[in-house]
Amino acid sequence: MTFKNLSHYIDEYKKIQSASADNTMKKFKVAVLSSSTIKGLKEVLTVKCHDLGLFPEILLGEYNQYNQEILDDESKLYRFEPNLVVLFIDTRALLGDVFFDYYTLSAQDQKCLPALKKEYLDSLIARMKFKLKAKIIIHNFELPCTTPLGILENKQALGLVEFIETLNGDLRDGFKSDSQVFVFDYNSFLSNIGKREAFNYKMYYLADIKIDLSYLPALADQYLAYIKPLISMTKKCIVLDLDNTLWGGIVGEDGAEGVKLGPTPEGRPFMEFQKYILSLFSRGVILAVNSNNNLDDVLEIFREHPYMILKEEHFASMKINWNGKVANMKAISEELNIGLDSFVFLDDDKFNREMIKSALPQVKVVNLPEDPSLYLEVITQLDDFNTFQITGEDMKKGQMYAQQKKREEFCKSAYDIKAYLKGLNIITTIQKANKFNVPRISQLTQKTNQFNLTTRRYLEEEIKQFSDSTDCIVFSIKVEDRFGDNGVTGAAIVKKKAKEWIVDSFLLSCREIGRGVEEVMLAHIFEEAKKEGIGRIIGEFIPTKKNEPAKDFYQKSGFILTEKVGDMELWSRDVAGGFPYPEFIEVIKAS
Amino acid sequence: MKKLKSILSMILEIEESSINDQTSPDNVESWDSFNALMIVSELEKEFKVRFTMDEVTAVKCVKDIKESLKRHGVLLQEE
Repeated sequence: MTFKNLSHYIDEYKKIQSASADNTMKKFKVAVLSSSTIKGLKEVLTVKCHDLGLFPEILLGEYNQYNQEILDDESKLYRFEPNLVVLFIDTRALLGDVFFDYYTLSAQDQKCLPALKKEYLDSLIARMKFKLKAKIIIHNFELPCTTPLGILENKQALGLVEFIETLNGDLRDGFKSDSQVFVFDYNSFLSNIGKREAFNYKMYYLADIKIDLSYLPALADQYLAYIKPLISMTKKCIVLDLDNTLWGGIVGEDGAEGVKLGPTPEGRPFMEFQKYILSLFSRGVILAVNSNNNLDDVLEIFREHPYMILKEEHFASMKINWNGKVANMKAISEELNIGLDSFVFLDDDKFNREMIKSALPQVKVVNLPEDPSLYLEVITQLDDFNTFQITGEDMKKGQMYAQQKKREEFCKSAYDIKAYLKGLNIITTIQKANKFNVPRISQLTQKTNQFNLTTRRYLEEEIKQFSDSTDCIVFSIKVEDRFGDNGVTGAAIVKKKAKEWIVDSFLLSCREIGRGVEEVMLAHIFEEAKKEGIGRIIGEFIPTKKNEPAKDFYQKSGFILTEKVGDMELWSRDVAGGFPYPEFIEVIKAS
Repeated sequence: MKKLKSILSMILEIEESSINDQTSPDNVESWDSFNALMIVSELEKEFKVRFTMDEVTAVKCVKDIKESLKRHGVLLQEE
């Protein structure tokens, strides 16, 4: 991997300072605290975010002031109120004199060190967790590659290297089930670059630089992998070309038996590329095909080729025709009901890539290298599928989209919409916000555009605050039908006032619209309001470019437009009389 | 020389044409200690050399940089 020079980023940074922020994007703040000089990182990170259309506020802590920043209640860090904090303490700073004096210590003192250091780090993290709602990223520690004991290093009771290893292991284990704290494997990051390459002694002695300036862009990329899920900028679907992408050669010319795929030097890169894509499918990434080919040729490979790893059942959509890549891409987006900004496109052909890039700039187009032996390296570097937590919905997403195919076929065979909905045997489960569905509710507020009445974007920590408050009701809805489980696809946030309740957020994934689920959600709100003797429900509606499908919802549901505040419409309906649940849907209320 | 000037110009935000042997931290305000390190880092990367610590601390002006580069076998074409 090559990176642009630091000066390039600093130059770009100055240029974008005047640019205006895209106001539909969720605002977020990142703080980086470090024990060594990482001047320039702010500029790099800002430029890299800007390239993705993001305008974060970034606070770079003063050099080696992380202790004070964390311990002082009035510090810049706490006044800044970041959404993400990176704590980057390097091995030399953590150990101080012990870095050199380790082997002058008694075995007893050495033995105490891992727990002592872990305790210290825990106390810093605990302080931040107490003061901040932010996600916290802590670097683990670089393992030294040389020690004074040389080949006897690992014959010690607890050698220096083993001490750091132990500390890294304890860090990992300590935060394994912590949804707020993430350990960044800085040691592996450095190994990947080469530790001798990353550490420049002269720069270290001159300015306490412990990672060479030229690798700050690489480090910023690592932080981006955490920023993307923070704002739910997660890709959902990989769209694949076939010839020279999933196999070597062109099936139309070389025949199914002539393509390169299998345990040979030329075939293995494609086979392993497919295996990696299959593992992405298993973590919930949706797959689709976009290929200019004859369908029969392709199906022969999918069905007959002994080393074809990916099968038809793994793909939610297959566009194999001569309609052109751009048209196919749009068709896949419509068929799966996923926005173009959720797609990653993989194609060996530069011309096709450029075409997609210019026609559909929302799609992430990966530059596959000319040499197929490098495909795997490129795809393993993608950091677009990260989430802070793999939700149940995420894991099953590939499967769910395959079920949707069957659902649509059933719709075509039903007489009318009512019979269709009845025949679906929909079961909905309403669940108050809890620690399991909060990440999903936040994700829904950030990703749902069409059936979203106010399009208010909330981070996980904000949803948690609402649900902890007694003045708020936050719930999610899970939908199942005869074809399978769609998972949690809707949510609402209701703010309680003395006489009336205000629907702050009300949203439903677009693939559920028009099946009565939105009525279930509304009926639930009315039911709860009635129990508490509330007079009326006020529904807020804020029009956007994308939420046309939700425009008439309150009107159709018997609400009356009472007021307009700027763009926002306020709709009202009395609670007396209630709002009926649809007949054909079973409603379960989970405790 | 062209590459050296373009690196200096980019980091220090000054016109390439204004750079000569006598250009130094004394007459260029943006040539602070951090930018000095960035110059070292990017020259080392561009010309695939590693300066010694003494070379870095001894630099007083552009002429000194050129001489260091020459010592490391980098041929700079004078324009």
